[in-house]
Amino acid sequence: MLPTGIDEMVDGQGGLRPHWRQLLSAFSGLGEGGLAEQARRLDVAFDNEGVTGILPGSGKQSWRCDPLPLPIMANEFAALAAGLAQRAELLEAVLQDLYSDQSLLADGILPPAVVYANEAFLRPCHMQGQGRPGRRFLDFYAADLVRGPDGAWRVLADRTSGAAGIAYARENRRVLAQVIPEAFGGMQVRELRPFFEIWQTALQRMGQERAYTGRFQKTQRQDQYQQQSPGQFQTQYQGAYPTGSGAPPAPIGPGIALLTPGTGSLHWFEHMMLSRELSCALVEGGDLTVRGGAVFLKTLKGLQPVDVLLRRMDAHMLDPLELDAGSLIGVPGLMDAARSGTVRISNDPGSGAMEAPALAAWLPALAMRLLGEPLKIASVPTLWLGETQAQEMVWRSPERWLIREAANGRTPAIEPARLTTEARRALLDDIVREPWRYAATTALAPSVAPCAGPNGLVPRPVVLRIYLVFDGQSWQAMEGGLARVMDDDEKLCGALPGEGLSKDVWVLHDERASIVGPPSMPVMPVAIRRTTGDLPSRVADNLFWLGRYVERLEGSARLVRATIARLSRGAVVPREMVELEALSRSLAQADLIPSEAVTVAAGGSVLSEALLASLREAGRDSGSIAHLVSSVAHLTELVRDRLTGDMYGAFTNSLRQIRADSRRVNHSLDAVSHVMVEVLRFCASVAGLAAENMVRGGGWMFLELGRRMERAQAISSQVGFALEHPPARVEPALRLVLELCDSLITYRTRYLTVLQPAPVLDLVLADDGNPRGLAFQLTAIGHLLDQIAGRGDSLLSGVAAALLDETQAMVTRVAEAADQSVAASELPKILHELSAGIGALSDRVTRHYFALLPVAQTLGMGEEALSFRGAA
Amino acid sequence: MKFRVRHTTIFAYAEPVDLACHMVRLLPRVLPYQRVISSAIIADPIAGRQSDGVDHFGNCVSWLFLDLPHPSFSVTLDAEVDVSFPHPPDPASTPPWEEVATARNGGPQQWQAAEFTFPSPMVSNDREVAAYVALSFPPRRPILAGLNDLLDRIRRDFKFQPGVTTIATPVGRVLAQRAGVCQDFSHLMISGLRSLGLPARYVSGYIRTVPPPGMTRRRGADQSHAWVGCWLGPRHGWVDVDPTNNLIVQDEHVVLGWGRDYGDVSPVRGVILGGGRHTLDVSVDLLPA
Repeated sequence: MLPTGIDEMVDGQGGLRPHWRQLLSAFSGLGEGGLAEQARRLDVAFDNEGVTGILPGSGKQSWRCDPLPLPIMANEFAALAAGLAQRAELLEAVLQDLYSDQSLLADGILPPAVVYANEAFLRPCHMQGQGRPGRRFLDFYAADLVRGPDGAWRVLADRTSGAAGIAYARENRRVLAQVIPEAFGGMQVRELRPFFEIWQTALQRMGQERAYTGRFQKTQRQDQYQQQSPGQFQTQYQGAYPTGSGAPPAPIGPGIALLTPGTGSLHWFEHMMLSRELSCALVEGGDLTVRGGAVFLKTLKGLQPVDVLLRRMDAHMLDPLELDAGSLIGVPGLMDAARSGTVRISNDPGSGAMEAPALAAWLPALAMRLLGEPLKIASVPTLWLGETQAQEMVWRSPERWLIREAANGRTPAIEPARLTTEARRALLDDIVREPWRYAATTALAPSVAPCAGPNGLVPRPVVLRIYLVFDGQSWQAMEGGLARVMDDDEKLCGALPGEGLSKDVWVLHDERASIVGPPSMPVMPVAIRRTTGDLPSRVADNLFWLGRYVERLEGSARLVRATIARLSRGAVVPREMVELEALSRSLAQADLIPSEAVTVAAGGSVLSEALLASLREAGRDSGSIAHLVSSVAHLTELVRDRLTGDMYGAFTNSLRQIRADSRRVNHSLDAVSHVMVEVLRFCASVAGLAAENMVRGGGWMFLELGRRMERAQAISSQVGFALEHPPARVEPALRLVLELCDSLITYRTRYLTVLQPAPVLDLVLADDGNPRGLAFQLTAIGHLLDQIAGRGDSLLSGVAAALLDETQAMVTRVAEAADQSVAASELPKILHELSAGIGALSDRVTRHYFALLPVAQTLGMGEEALSFRGAA
Repeated sequence: MKFRVRHTTIFAYAEPVDLACHMVRLLPRVLPYQRVISSAIIADPIAGRQSDGVDHFGNCVSWLFLDLPHPSFSVTLDAEVDVSFPHPPDPASTPPWEEVATARNGGPQQWQAAEFTFPSPMVSNDREVAAYVALSFPPRRPILAGLNDLLDRIRRDFKFQPGVTTIATPVGRVLAQRAGVCQDFSHLMISGLRSLGLPARYVSGYIRTVPPPGMTRRRGADQSHAWVGCWLGPRHGWVDVDPTNNLIVQDEHVVLGWGRDYGDVSPVRGVILGGGRHTLDVSVDLLPA
């Protein structure tokens, strides 16, 4: 247990520090029990924003924000920022040396272990004879700081690879301002947004440098790809550039993308927020491809060049060709592209080497050698245990030290004082065997700051993370930061966790603000674009399936509800038997119940059981409806960056509720029915939000296309099952058809109560004004496919038109038949074929637009590759 | 001694591969004792893009990018090399091994050798292997004498047996089963030497096939070879030893390059898109020229 640190709130004499007094008075205005209530409201706000994911297994609240911020006076912050700027420049200089001639090792300034036993020192970034002029490693940087008992802030860890948490800092401020605006009253709190402007401008500048030098060659290469024989890739990624060969490329802005490992990442939320804040594309490795030494984004309309990759992925995973061969999330050839200068990876993949905790021991000497000045801001005192005297110092008083991996800043520190005698001996053994692997940091008690507790303020230790970005000339700090409140049993120093309690950081100043804006820098005007083509294929794919699954869920809920309505009426009359049989066949066709349950025997009890089971959430055996719900949740998460915050919040809150209510269903069909009502309400809200909130671009079109395809298939298949009865029983079948297509009311207003095949089938199949009917779906599909394909390409929409003709012809035949009932009973076969035809069209859309890439395999490094044969 | 090297690697795929990139370390590196008279990499189909470079360790590396569908891929090294390794020093003249084991601390004369004293992705420290190797290094024994003893023991204790290991087999398993091939013996020896603090590196290359008396040379039967570079201190530098054949490398080997372990110098490494199952065929000819 760390000793208690000094209190942020009080000065040396036990009085309140002035800026705290101001802050506390603002918060005291919140009234009795106010703080706890504010804390609760913040939790709810974070929950609604979806800072928590909704993927299975991530039910835990990820980040919480304490209502009380950590205030820092502007002059104190400026000193910290200046110190960290110097430190970032120093680390840059160290990287420059280590990835070129390594004079720091040759001259014995740094011990080899810090570099060569450092997994983040990436040898593929150290190619001989390729010292590129102007190569830069660090564009952003963060440091973790603690304030010790002497009142001085010291650096506990340097973050040069990912520097996570910045989006949480931004989110803290936004939510705090929204939920407790009165807390800001009267105080001059510096804004965070200018920092993101600076960062965005810096990325633009990198991109323009890249685009001017590399783009022309790139364009020529691109033309070359277009002219090649129409192989598989050419048809998939045709024409990013409409420019003719030889003509100078059209001036378009640089391609900037944030590279994320995807929704599985601990910091997925942050990546999404950051990509919005910096106005860049959010991409996964699978969205990118390297052609001719340049990096491209695979979009619906072909390959779009990428000039800058904001790396938010562990460097080892970037390129399976040169780095971790097992990486499935990387881009083969990316390192080669980066070396040849066609793409700028920011921060450089090799920059993580500066996170080595042991490095702190040499920074004062390095500052003198490389910058010619002393270090402005000290590290927490650190020893490298590769030196014998250092080991002796630590073992003389182990309780005063934290043991860390010398070269890995991501693993949490070990506190010898907390270990059992046995564990301490084992640690000692390890250190004696491989002393170079360890470093020791003074166990400094972090300062404590007041946090909202259930019964008032509780002092808890805080670690402050400050972020900086390089604007091309100098380092600029974000005037704020992320203060993390340490748990009692939390180890210092590790990687940023995926959850925890944080505090907003307020940089306060007395005089009126001098508004800090981005430096004026000519950024090429962005051409007005309304195209749909820049949607990454993966996103279109996910939206299409989200549309399909939401619709499938809705159709399923209608089927289940209609079935339960009949089952719960008690004794089943013959007419209802017909309907139940048709319903159960439709249920089985939709995989909602097993085919054994297609029976109305025993008063439908088998069917009832099957329906109850469909809601069960039990791992792999989870029921079909439960499975659909979790598929929708999963897809929602995958396309989250394409949804507005309101949409995402509405989706996830309803899905959570549906899941919670599903779990409460025991043996009552009524409860199932209740969940189905919720499901239908959810589906209606998805449709409404999509219609009202989504721009009619590529994203909306694919969501809509998926929905229409699914509904068209369901209608034709369900009407088919309903009509599979002798002509004499056509009436109950027709009633069911109207019910499933939600068209009973419309029918009644048109025809009163007379049920006849031709008018019913006209309404649900041929009337293109009925949004629940088949013709409406097919017409919409045709329009959407035309819009997506653009002018001149009506191949796929032609298929939809043919299906529509067939549908209308079918209904005409029934209307003109001598006996409509007989004619109707002959339709099921055609309807099932129609359903299959719609399915085939869906497959063609998938193949045409989505990157159905074959599986990547690694050669020569996997276990499959070769058993060693060797020579004798 | 002049050699002509031909090393062909052929991948045949069940389905066409749409997109492939290969990273090959096949060009022999130029050394004071190895003159490269000619060397070329021939790829079939021809790569759409090729880039060449020199890696962190000073090895020649080439990247081959193929972006048209192809049913198979072959890459061939064709080279002529003149090799004459220096004579090894008298073992008695080499320093006690403990003096070499200080390399890890770095400094002007040892910092580059220090890199090869730390565990690497494919060569971890293993207590059993460390104990096995340590038997050859009693206190104050000259390092080369210790290495000679270790080579004798490996030759005696281990069976050369292809097919019982893969590149992922840990050194501890190789020791337990007392069998493997050149890469395994090299990894095992490297692991043990590093546990003692001695710099050891993995050398990739070829060995001349000595035909049995009265028989013709087995064409194409050979594979890539691997052995161990050992550092004997600043005065003697690096000496290569071949644990598979119990000899100090003299005039039967051609060096491609070196690294910490197989992973740093795998001759042909690649990522392909598609292809389904594939078969691999490797042939090496090393003939006196």
